[in-house]
Amino acid sequence: MQGTIAIHDLLDQYAHSNGLRHVDARTKLLLGGGSIVLSVLSTSPLPPLIVALSMSALILGLAKIPWRIYSRMLLIPISFALMSCGAVIFIEGSGDAVLSLSIMGSSIIVRSDGLELAALLLGRTCGGMCSLFFIALTTPMIEIFSVLRSLRVPQTFLELSMLIYRQIFVMLDEAFSIRQAQEVRLGNCNLSRSLQSYAMMASVLFIRSWERGERLMVAMDSRCYEGHLETLDEDSRIDGGQMIMVCCYLLALATIVAMISWH
Amino acid sequence: MHIMEGFLPHPWWEIWFALSAPAVAYGLWRMNALVKERRETLPLLAVAGAFIFVLSSLKLPSVTGSCSHPTGTGMAAIFFGPWIASVMATIVLLYQAIFLAHGGLTTLGANVFSMGIAGPIIGYAAYKGVMRLGINPYIAVFLAASLADISTYLVTSLQLALAIPAAVGGSFASFRAFAAIFALTQVPLAIVEGVVTALIFKYIAELRGDVLLELNVLSKGALNKLMEARG
Repeated sequence: MQGTIAIHDLLDQYAHSNGLRHVDARTKLLLGGGSIVLSVLSTSPLPPLIVALSMSALILGLAKIPWRIYSRMLLIPISFALMSCGAVIFIEGSGDAVLSLSIMGSSIIVRSDGLELAALLLGRTCGGMCSLFFIALTTPMIEIFSVLRSLRVPQTFLELSMLIYRQIFVMLDEAFSIRQAQEVRLGNCNLSRSLQSYAMMASVLFIRSWERGERLMVAMDSRCYEGHLETLDEDSRIDGGQMIMVCCYLLALATIVAMISWH
Repeated sequence: MHIMEGFLPHPWWEIWFALSAPAVAYGLWRMNALVKERRETLPLLAVAGAFIFVLSSLKLPSVTGSCSHPTGTGMAAIFFGPWIASVMATIVLLYQAIFLAHGGLTTLGANVFSMGIAGPIIGYAAYKGVMRLGINPYIAVFLAASLADISTYLVTSLQLALAIPAAVGGSFASFRAFAAIFALTQVPLAIVEGVVTALIFKYIAELRGDVLLELNVLSKGALNKLMEARG
């Protein structure tokens, strides 16, 4: 649980202080988003692997995220993906049997096409996750909001997202201290106690956040809130050279994806 | 129960986006109307959304020893109704993808459909149905939260099965495989989340029963009955 909180503190912290912080958000989003889509469209594990490697190179080399932290982050999605791929391997295919086990009288056969499918899914997940990390680690949420606004995403949706974003960090802090207080008072010594502690923490969080919401309304009213939050977007310019490099990269990747699915 | 980035092939991720979009759009329309009518709802919805995010990022004590995260969808549906819950789930899922690497961007549509639409609708229906029968509200909350989780997990298995059919037996066979593997973690999680949600509900009813009245979750009579039972 400490790990969870530490990790997304870090994700957001790096978005504000990485080596690519001053690159225009649209360029970074195009690169990350384009790589995700191409990874998913690919019919072979190779292009997603290229994406995973190049995104990791950008994250470690240019954005200068410490590799220790980055590798710990990658563990979370990969363990999820391995579990799902486990299911895929055992879905019987029609290919050659690669491995057959017999456990307690029932035989489990791993066939080549099941294995290939699992490799493809694992590859796509890695490519997609690395691109997602690229966006998360280099682009602050506030800049993503201003890009979304220029794409005409509904105002209410954006305002709600921004308010939620602000509250998340306040509440995580609070949840963390409540958890610690419960821990030192042996609140998690057995299952029924830890369930009760969890529920108590959650209900206190809910009530406090409700009251915070009421106070927030007063604060917004006293600043002339009229149904819209007005924010000032920083005027940033797209760097032509960077944009061209990103487009070339995506074009090359798209060509590889197209060639593989053609064959 | 999130589908990871890259796990759903074309055209399935687009299909789930297309299926989720109308429900979320309807939810947004309802929310807009609500905010216009009572402007204090926007900050309240915001803190509730943050609450669901924080809740879902904290590990639940689990029976099987594996760590599991509550989804909070059942609770959102009980408090705000299924449509507004779907808008909140969309935002929370987006943040989970970006901050926690749970889920992904192309799989957002599928995840919104299972966690933000199917789960809340079933949970809400269960809550309203059991309440109409006049049974203890805590049981209604328990059932709503557990059923929301179980239906989320079944829909997720179905989404994976449709996208990745088995060579022998097709989608039905792979549905059975996915459902069986995920059942190991998801069924205990559903029960634990049901218990915890009922306990949360109990504490909120005791400390700030007026909030539940204001949200129209409980009628005045039902709340009084709960408080009397407590003595």
